[in-house]
Amino acid sequence: MSESKQREGIPPGTLEMLILKTLSRHKPMHGFEIAEFILETSSGVLQVEEGSLYPALQRMLLKDWISGDWGKTEENRRARYYSMTAEGRKQLARELDRYARVSEAIAAILQPA
Amino acid sequence: MKLIRRMAALWHRNRETRALREEMALHLELRARKLHRAGLAPADAGFAARRQFGNAAIYQDQISALWGWTMWERFWQDLRHGVRMLVKAPGFTAITVLTLALGLGINTAIFSAVNAVMLRPLPYPQSERLISLWEENTKPRDQGFSSSGTVVGSAGGSQRTTVSPANLADYKATGAFEDLAAYDSAPVNLTGLGTPQRLSGEAVTWNYFSVLGVLPAEGRTFLPQEDKPGAESVAIVSHEFWQQRLGGGADALSRSLLLDSKPYRIVGIMPAGFQSPSNLGLKLATEVFLTASYSHELLASRGDHEVNVVARLKPGVSVAAAQAALRALSAGLAKQFPATNGNFRASIALLRDDLAGSASQSLWALLGASGLIVLIACVNVANLLMVRAAGRRHESSVRMALGAGRLPLMRQLMTESLVIAAAGCLAGIATGRLLMFGLTALAPPGIPRIETAGMDWRVFAVAATLALATGLIFGMAPAWQASQVNPVDALKTAARGTGGASQARWRTVLTIAEVALSLILLVGAGLLLRSFSTLMGVNLGFQTDRVIAMNISLPILRYPDAQARLLFFQRLEERVHAVPGVVAVGTANRMPLRGGWSSGIAIDGKTDRIVDPDFQAVTPGYFETLGIPLLRGRWLNAQDTANTLPIAVVNQAFARQLLDGADPIGHTMQRKPRAPRISIVGVVNDIRRGGKEEEIKPEVYLCAGQTDLYPVPLADLAVRTAGDPRTLVNAISREVWAIDKDQPVTNVHTMDEIVDEAVAERRFQTLLLLIFASVAVALAIVGIYGVLTYSVGQRMSELGIRVALGAPPRAIVGLVLRQAGVLIAAGVVLGVVGAYGLTRFLEGLLFQVKTTDWHAYAGAVGLLTVVAVIAALIPARRGARVDPVVALRQE
Repeated sequence: MSESKQREGIPPGTLEMLILKTLSRHKPMHGFEIAEFILETSSGVLQVEEGSLYPALQRMLLKDWISGDWGKTEENRRARYYSMTAEGRKQLARELDRYARVSEAIAAILQPA
Repeated sequence: MKLIRRMAALWHRNRETRALREEMALHLELRARKLHRAGLAPADAGFAARRQFGNAAIYQDQISALWGWTMWERFWQDLRHGVRMLVKAPGFTAITVLTLALGLGINTAIFSAVNAVMLRPLPYPQSERLISLWEENTKPRDQGFSSSGTVVGSAGGSQRTTVSPANLADYKATGAFEDLAAYDSAPVNLTGLGTPQRLSGEAVTWNYFSVLGVLPAEGRTFLPQEDKPGAESVAIVSHEFWQQRLGGGADALSRSLLLDSKPYRIVGIMPAGFQSPSNLGLKLATEVFLTASYSHELLASRGDHEVNVVARLKPGVSVAAAQAALRALSAGLAKQFPATNGNFRASIALLRDDLAGSASQSLWALLGASGLIVLIACVNVANLLMVRAAGRRHESSVRMALGAGRLPLMRQLMTESLVIAAAGCLAGIATGRLLMFGLTALAPPGIPRIETAGMDWRVFAVAATLALATGLIFGMAPAWQASQVNPVDALKTAARGTGGASQARWRTVLTIAEVALSLILLVGAGLLLRSFSTLMGVNLGFQTDRVIAMNISLPILRYPDAQARLLFFQRLEERVHAVPGVVAVGTANRMPLRGGWSSGIAIDGKTDRIVDPDFQAVTPGYFETLGIPLLRGRWLNAQDTANTLPIAVVNQAFARQLLDGADPIGHTMQRKPRAPRISIVGVVNDIRRGGKEEEIKPEVYLCAGQTDLYPVPLADLAVRTAGDPRTLVNAISREVWAIDKDQPVTNVHTMDEIVDEAVAERRFQTLLLLIFASVAVALAIVGIYGVLTYSVGQRMSELGIRVALGAPPRAIVGLVLRQAGVLIAAGVVLGVVGAYGLTRFLEGLLFQVKTTDWHAYAGAVGLLTVVAVIAALIPARRGARVDPVVALRQE
């Protein structure tokens, strides 16, 4: 039961932060929209196996960070729209904070004074 | 919250899985469409979309695991597989489930009895604070000029007696009790409501109901001023009495009852189902309660031990603390009143424990024995499962070779065992329910509350726990076994698979354990059987056949003095004697095994040495009726009256114990320093008044005609008949009613029945333990037979070679029997050691038999060995008949 099968592109654990960030800026989105958004915003740099999005979404649903409600797409197809909860907002703040500290530390090492 | 969501998800599992699939399908479709718009061909677009998405099945599995579905799914899989395997082997399943059902059923039944008799709280509020109080004579053979009623029993060298009401106020002064109440059975004759009836009544102190915590449902309880001599006669009746005898009318509280020809005003009706502690759960319920109204004389006489006492502890006071306070008080009273209290002290126990009494010891022993049966059943099933696991070794090794882990394999086998345990549990509870009916039907009268034995949460919990534990125990062995399989080795051997050395060792150990456990039970049963047969062989000293006894209690109001009662019985004896078929008729205070009385006496005026024989006032016909032979001197006869010299007849024990073996004839005795001297004129054979288990005690027979010699009324009539005494009951009753139409005749039993009832409890124990031992032996036999049959099957080719090389059948039989012999011998040795350790718990149940009685041990070992060898002979002979050609071809 290994955690995920993502090969490269994004460091483990980052996917959830990206999803949260995406949902924080927009109206509720369904899975494909989230994937598209991440892909486009990163100008295609961040390569993700799109299917890995779904275990991550389910994990976040269980942790109460996001909620999922069924709705209709513009083409009248049934889809689950995810939106962020208050708990998710707090989690995003924590993740961003952590990410900022880690990348600052890494940057400090990589750029000699 | 999360947990609830997970559980809900489990519930909606299929819906969730469908939803996920739909989401993923939409994703793929949208991606493909986008790629198509970007210029790919539709087929290429679909393919590219899937590649970009990754393996959807793996992601679905991940999500499944996330929700915790996987464990559930595997459990279901194992369960379905387990049930399928068991259904495919119906014979195996039936044997294992039946074995478990038997073991668990016996346990459930016995436990439900233990529960009903000893564990369930008594039906009184806060009954855990209710205690029973009695007095103990620490030197029972030396009690001064005091008299006591029926001796209740003896414990640890001191003799338990009822309580002297005069001491009650002192006991209350210890401060350990909220209150104490006294009660005593007081049967009364009811007249004026149809045929005269003898009611079971109780004389109680006014606070009796408040101590028990149950007040009358209608009317009121007794008032303190009603519990005094000379007060108005009032009664409280049971709900059942009100319904059945008074018609349940609302006017009952304004009515009066004619009890012993005296009017009693009904002041209260108890709630339905109320039972007094003295007959809790017994068939004979108390119908009327009267005030005890102890006389001033009685309340001043500390030597008269006459009543039962129930008390309620103050909250927070423990039984031990109350006991300590009573001991200190008793020591003080002994100093203050050496003549009456010198040898006495008060003792207490929880009312519940005291009521369970002797039954608790035998029930605990039976529970222990039924525990052994469950163990044997467990071992047997484990054995069967191991044999089966050996047969499935090939299957296991193939699965392992294909990559199955040891853990899943063990889990699968454990699940199968638990399925068997669950089935066994259900079957066991059903069996237990049936056995319970048998148990309550067989139970001797006098075990309180056993009729109420039934299923409740405790019984269910115990059965379920036991089933789970057995499932784990017997499931462990084969599961562990399977995990030890080395697929390479196993696959190399023939498909049939040999059990392997370690497996054979396990099964040998289990079989030895089985033999040992059943031997323990067999020894226990043997000891009880020996003890019972010893008891049955005890000579009572009188002839019980063709004698019928009945109680005719004359009410004091109509028969105010001893002379009137004597006249009644003299007339009755004359009339009964004239009834065709009557051989002899006699009257006494009480017939043997129905209680009696004792009194301190001085022999030949030596008041410095007071002795305490049993007394009985009898008419001359008594000895002939009971067949008690005269050894020396003369009988009491009709010429001995109030106007002649006071005389008595004594038994041999009197001469032996009180006169140092001298001839009693001519000696005299006195019950009080200035009382008339009673001359001894004859010696009769010893009888066991108290029944077979009682020792023979010195006994004095007073002459019924000399009524001023005895304080206890004549009440029991016995008739010896030429034929079946039962057929004369009506004729005898008619003679009673011819003299007094209002006189009830009660407690009519043949002497054989009376003697039989006294041994009923022992018979019950012995019978149950015998049944248990038989079940145990049967299970052990099945075990031995199974192991040997299997082992012969495994050794077919070896045996075939031996036969081919010229071994005679006898040698083959010997070979198998030697293997059986080792099992049996080891089991027997272990069993004897175990029995030696465990049978001491039976000590209190044995009668004149030691727990180390070699007869019981030898009998048990002999029986078990013979049966086990017979069981071993069947597979041994099959081995000897093996056709070498067939056996060798199998390889």
